[in-house]
Amino acid sequence: MNSIFEIDNLNLHYDDFQALKDINIRIEKNKVTALIGPSGCGKSTFLRCLNRMNDLIDSCKITGEIEFKEENIYTSNYDVISLRTKVGMVFQKPNPFPMSIYDNVAYGPRCQGIKDKNILDEIVATSLKSSALYEEVRDRIKESALSLSGGQQQRLCIARAIAMEPEVILMDEPTSALDPIATLRIEELMNELKKKYTIIIVTHSMHQAARISDNTAFFLMGELIEFDKTNKIFTTPKNQKTEDYITGRFG
Amino acid sequence: MSTITRILNRYKNRRTYNKKEFVDKIVRVIFMMSTILSASFIIIIIIFISLKGLTPFVTSNSGIGSVNIISFLTGNVWLTGTAFQSSLYSIGFIIVNTLFIAFLSLLISMPVGVLTALFIAKIASRRISEFLRIVVELLASIPSIVYGLFGSGVILIFVYNLAEAFGIQSRGGNSVLATVLVLALMTLPTITAISEVSIRSVNKDIEQGSLALGATRTQTNFKVILMSAKSGIFASAILGIGRALGEATAVSLVAGNSKSGPSLGVFDITSTLTSTMLEGLKETTGIDYDIRFSVGLVLMVVILLTNLILNYIKKKVGSIDVK
Amino acid sequence: MLNKRNIIDIIYQVITYLAASVGVIALSMIIFFVFSNGLKLLNFGLLVNDYHAEFYNGGIDDPIFTFSHRPISLDDKVFYSQKWGIGLVDSKDREGNPIIIIEYISGDSPLLEIYDKNNEESKEIIGIDKGFLVSKISYYDKNTSLTMYGAESMINDIESTNEIREIVFSSLGGGIRGSIITTLYLISITIIIALPIGISTAIYLNEFSSKNRLTSLLRSLIETLTGVPSIIFGLLGLAVFVPLTIRFSEATSANIVSGSLTLSVILLPIIIKSTEESLKVVPDSFRSASLALGANHTQTTLKVVLPSAFPGIMTGTLLAIGRIIGESAALIFAIGTAVKDDISIFGKSTTLSVHIWSLMKDEPANIELASTIAIVILLIVLTLNIIVKLISKRFIKEF
Repeated sequence: MNSIFEIDNLNLHYDDFQALKDINIRIEKNKVTALIGPSGCGKSTFLRCLNRMNDLIDSCKITGEIEFKEENIYTSNYDVISLRTKVGMVFQKPNPFPMSIYDNVAYGPRCQGIKDKNILDEIVATSLKSSALYEEVRDRIKESALSLSGGQQQRLCIARAIAMEPEVILMDEPTSALDPIATLRIEELMNELKKKYTIIIVTHSMHQAARISDNTAFFLMGELIEFDKTNKIFTTPKNQKTEDYITGRFG
Repeated sequence: MSTITRILNRYKNRRTYNKKEFVDKIVRVIFMMSTILSASFIIIIIIFISLKGLTPFVTSNSGIGSVNIISFLTGNVWLTGTAFQSSLYSIGFIIVNTLFIAFLSLLISMPVGVLTALFIAKIASRRISEFLRIVVELLASIPSIVYGLFGSGVILIFVYNLAEAFGIQSRGGNSVLATVLVLALMTLPTITAISEVSIRSVNKDIEQGSLALGATRTQTNFKVILMSAKSGIFASAILGIGRALGEATAVSLVAGNSKSGPSLGVFDITSTLTSTMLEGLKETTGIDYDIRFSVGLVLMVVILLTNLILNYIKKKVGSIDVK
Repeated sequence: MLNKRNIIDIIYQVITYLAASVGVIALSMIIFFVFSNGLKLLNFGLLVNDYHAEFYNGGIDDPIFTFSHRPISLDDKVFYSQKWGIGLVDSKDREGNPIIIIEYISGDSPLLEIYDKNNEESKEIIGIDKGFLVSKISYYDKNTSLTMYGAESMINDIESTNEIREIVFSSLGGGIRGSIITTLYLISITIIIALPIGISTAIYLNEFSSKNRLTSLLRSLIETLTGVPSIIFGLLGLAVFVPLTIRFSEATSANIVSGSLTLSVILLPIIIKSTEESLKVVPDSFRSASLALGANHTQTTLKVVLPSAFPGIMTGTLLAIGRIIGESAALIFAIGTAVKDDISIFGKSTTLSVHIWSLMKDEPANIELASTIAIVILLIVLTLNIIVKLISKRFIKEF
């Protein structure tokens, strides 16, 4: 198995509350991994560990190891900013900056010091094409990103994330704020993107997980209950709790 | 591998970590410095005004002798003797005047302001409320010097005629009453605005509870809503009295600047701590200059004490906290 | 049936209605008073003229008469001398005293050759012009013409003479140009000082500081400033900033820079508060999105958070400008009350508000000019308030 993330004995505390308990998991490269589980089970928290977004929360304490490409990202001199250019993220609600579409996509490369206009133009065009947004916005690329519809905004956020050509894209319930048609388009997009990127997605919808993912991890109360090929999880789960959840007995 | 990917990888794998962390640290320090600077001014004010204000009490004031702190705080004549030749200053009566005037002005502006707030929040139609809110905002934005101008052009004449009707010859209308009226006008917008917020935030359930018990709207407004909003109303009074105590230019144009007192009759000329500080500032050295800092120091102490006492009372009185 | 309860209710209601009308009445009275007293003096000349009149003793040797005709456009009230090519009119100055004003001077008038008698050797020519005041003309052969006899008698006197011994005239004066310029200087310098400090303080408190004792101490120290009356800031200016500017510049007394420094301290809490409030409404998702894209804290703050907070910062700045224009008590100490025409940032001068105060403190008080200045102040302050309202309405829509 060719894994890009190797997580060993990960524990995470918010003050007195333990949000993640002894997580051990290997995430496969160039696959879609879905994280499922009821609300508050720790799946989003786990996702945010992978690009160290939990650093922003003062009360958050982490023990254990997360290795990204065989390097522990939780050592004190690890380059967090460089990590985030390699592990991109798309959030639950579309959150484009109040700037033009172009500036949104060019934001990441610019922050890394790329100033050449031609290079930026090309990055913006490629990213918008890869996120299937280019045709819709090519004439108004200098207009405010806030003028886009919700689904377009979310695809813009994906374009913004892939502008840096990351290796992994983390998606935190990317379709929960969208209507079914926009959701479908994002799912199609993910199918395209997985050829090039590793995708880790948190989702509330088991159908979505079944439709798009190769592997599925089931979280409950901060514990990783089961992790396997998606078709195995949904057809022959080993754990009773997993079965209860996917058959809708709770959650 | 495309060109773009190569360029991106070059930028991504540059060891930027230390540089970017360093920038963050520097920026943080710069911003923190300006925060410390902003916060230090109140300390600078206290230190410098205390130093300057205490000078007349502890030095000989170039030979005229030091000011006696007890008689300064209790006496009833501003200056016995000639300026720059005597150290016999006292402001006891001015402290009394200041508190008396602030109290009287609040006695007018509190009921008017609170009732206006009640009217805006509960009685008036939407459009009238909106109109009155704008009026209150405009009143709040008028600079105090314009209130002073209005005071000396209109209120002085009104007070002068009023005094004449009572058979009293006032000094051009300059009086306790004129000062009180000007200050009442100036504190009105503050009191109205803050009371309105606290009246509006009174829980609807309480209001409906009262109505359901058969109380009329008016009874509900006065007995339940005003009572429930009393903490916020009290807070507006604290701000109002702060403004009344500290107001300077408008007061100096209508007070009349009495040199002795206290002035307790409504048509007597008067003086406050602030108007005294503004009066006849010509020289920039010597005791007549330094003594203004002493007055300023007393003003700060008076405001601080008033605030502490009123906040203490508010804690005792106010049960429902309005945020 | 009106029972006791209804009557009491009605009494309460009437009292409430009366109270609510007080504010409206007061506002209308203030506006009416200021405009009715000040409007007649309000004209463009007032805004651009000097406050202090310039006096000249002019002399003229061997005038060459050209006898140009009275222009038809001249008003009937103007008295015209064909010989000297000059039209005079009776008028009143800003204190209501009678004056004689030069309403017209022809292009070839011999009076254009008037030289400064105080400077006998150089015989420097004074540029006499329309709008000047003529206060006295004396002759070799007859009695002096004075302002009190009126323009008509003055014209008759000069028309019947060929020689003028001395002509005393002055510029109009009473204008508020100096105070306007001082106010503008004061606004610019104060904003230049206070805005960077205020904004970076707000950014520190909202974006960089960690929640600890030091932060809350700093915060409460800044908040305490809001409760300090402005006259105390005036004392701060007098005790700290005036000596500081005297020490480090050519200033010899209170000046524009010391005034600006003092005002900056007054404005800091206002700017910090409005900036912080607008930083608070910037959604956290912007911050995390930016960080997730590999931006550092500084880039996130400067590129994403601060631009989103711009309308709030704008609002704070406009409110601050309003406060600068209206401030009087602090500035009486920190910039002084001397009304000047030549403005330099380290020299004495005064702002519009303090100008009102000096006019009102004069004996007798000049209510008319003070009201005119008050109109100018009110117009600016009210406009600023309206703009602020518009900005914050749009701002609320955006989020």
